[in-house]
Amino acid sequence: MVVFIVLVAVFAHWLAPHSYTRTDLFMSWSLPDARYLLGGDAVGRDILSRLLVGAQVSLTIAFSVLTIVLIVGTVLGTIAGWHGGWADGLITRATDLTLAFPELIIAIIVAAIMGPGVPAVIVALSLVGWTGIARIVRSLTLSLRNEAFVEAAMAAGTRPAAIIVFHLLPNMVPALVVRATAGIGFIIMEEATLSFLGLGVQEPQPTWGGMIRDGLPALRTEPWMAMAASAALAFTIVGFNLFGDGLRDALDPRGARR
Amino acid sequence: MSQYLARRIASFVAMIAVAVIATFIANRFVPGDPVLVMLGDQSSNLDLAARLRADYGLDLPLHEQFVRYVTGLLRGDLGLSFRFPGVPVGEVIADGLRISPVIGLAALVLSLTLGTLLGAIAAVRAGSLVDTGLMFVVVIGLSVPGFVVATGLVWLLSVRLGWLPVAGWGTPQQAILPIIVAAIGPIAYFARLTRTFLLETLGQDYVRTARAKGVPERGVVLHHALRNATVPLLTVAGIMMGGLITGTIVVENIFNIQGLGRIAVTSIAARDYPVTMGIVLLFTLFYGTINLLVDIAYVLVDPRIRLAVS
Repeated sequence: MVVFIVLVAVFAHWLAPHSYTRTDLFMSWSLPDARYLLGGDAVGRDILSRLLVGAQVSLTIAFSVLTIVLIVGTVLGTIAGWHGGWADGLITRATDLTLAFPELIIAIIVAAIMGPGVPAVIVALSLVGWTGIARIVRSLTLSLRNEAFVEAAMAAGTRPAAIIVFHLLPNMVPALVVRATAGIGFIIMEEATLSFLGLGVQEPQPTWGGMIRDGLPALRTEPWMAMAASAALAFTIVGFNLFGDGLRDALDPRGARR
Repeated sequence: MSQYLARRIASFVAMIAVAVIATFIANRFVPGDPVLVMLGDQSSNLDLAARLRADYGLDLPLHEQFVRYVTGLLRGDLGLSFRFPGVPVGEVIADGLRISPVIGLAALVLSLTLGTLLGAIAAVRAGSLVDTGLMFVVVIGLSVPGFVVATGLVWLLSVRLGWLPVAGWGTPQQAILPIIVAAIGPIAYFARLTRTFLLETLGQDYVRTARAKGVPERGVVLHHALRNATVPLLTVAGIMMGGLITGTIVVENIFNIQGLGRIAVTSIAARDYPVTMGIVLLFTLFYGTINLLVDIAYVLVDPRIRLAVS
């Protein structure tokens, strides 16, 4: 499922039978036919093409957020775990404070300050997401720094920075990979919610959340768009979640918590 | 104990402080001049511009604006709307205040009862077809966003079968779908946790003792196992409120209900930031208070935790 979705997203422009922005008023809310396989939307754009490019938009946002979150979370988490003291206190306090807010409330504030759009979505989701990574990295650092190989490296006079980069980080990779894949489904879901509310991706860029919103008023007569976008979204999220679960079982047998 | 309480209250205050500062920033540092927008085609009327600026306190230095904002909030004054010049935010959101809590509370009651019930059934029949089926539905409910489920439900129940109205608010029929959709995520979440915690307590010695002395199975589950499982469930009730707030906001936008969530989102589009930020503050205050109460209740309910923190 995941491979399929990623391939679709990468080759979306090549696969799309029509331009995702070209309007054709004769095709407005047209039924699925040979030309528009899934019919047309309110201004006569090809729904199938918009669905495919929508996959690209969603995944691009998801991977951007994931990259930011992984970098920020890992850096802050290692600092908190390794340095301890006031740095740890400050970072832990910041995580708790962020988690004290419902995600959507943070997103609304960000959308108000930055104006709705792709940058606002990425900032809002990153603001929430780094906390989870930072917590994991912090606890991993705390447990790893007492391991014999870290002590050996310290005794050999290796600089702390080198120990962190060459000894700690490689040992965190499996846990982080598991966590990151599990997070993708969640990020896609949040992005779709924001776009659905009109706080996320803006026209003319297609997004599944936005297509569902635009399709809802026409549900009575032309359910294609809302249904197709809903199906694509559900398929993608469930796909990534199953992939994350499988990866967790394969890479981290101890991690079968819950 | 008192130290734990003090720390908990301090973090509550910090949360509110961050929310107040963030909303102040969002209100004051937005692109464009709100007064020019309000003036519209009367932009040459300098007297009116000056009066509006004074009414909104925009002529004051920034730190005085902040003091005015905070003292206003302490008196329950959320400021004035941009979209409706001179109208207090409280008036704009008054209707929403009568709708959103109804949806939220009804969804809460529904998710607590149905979530516990489904989770308990799954735990008692662990490993059976019923359990597998229920958990499959739960995973779907947890991973698919509410508005996707809503799209399907509206299409089936309202469009195809014509049983329920498609949108709006006011009649009991119009309330059914929004409440169900808002509750789906929390129901799934709660059912999964109830199942986990109940399976844990069902394996305890005191449950075996109760069975051994001939307590009927129903009594074992309800009085011995479920009662002890409620303690960890209580902690997640706070987290669940976050999901319910999100659910309420989404649902109001699906069904075009003029509640707080709908007003907050349309006000962003209309650049009416004081209204949006007023609603953000209300949600934050509500969510923070609930979580504070849950944490206090948690300590009071479980003697082991009470001992651990003191």
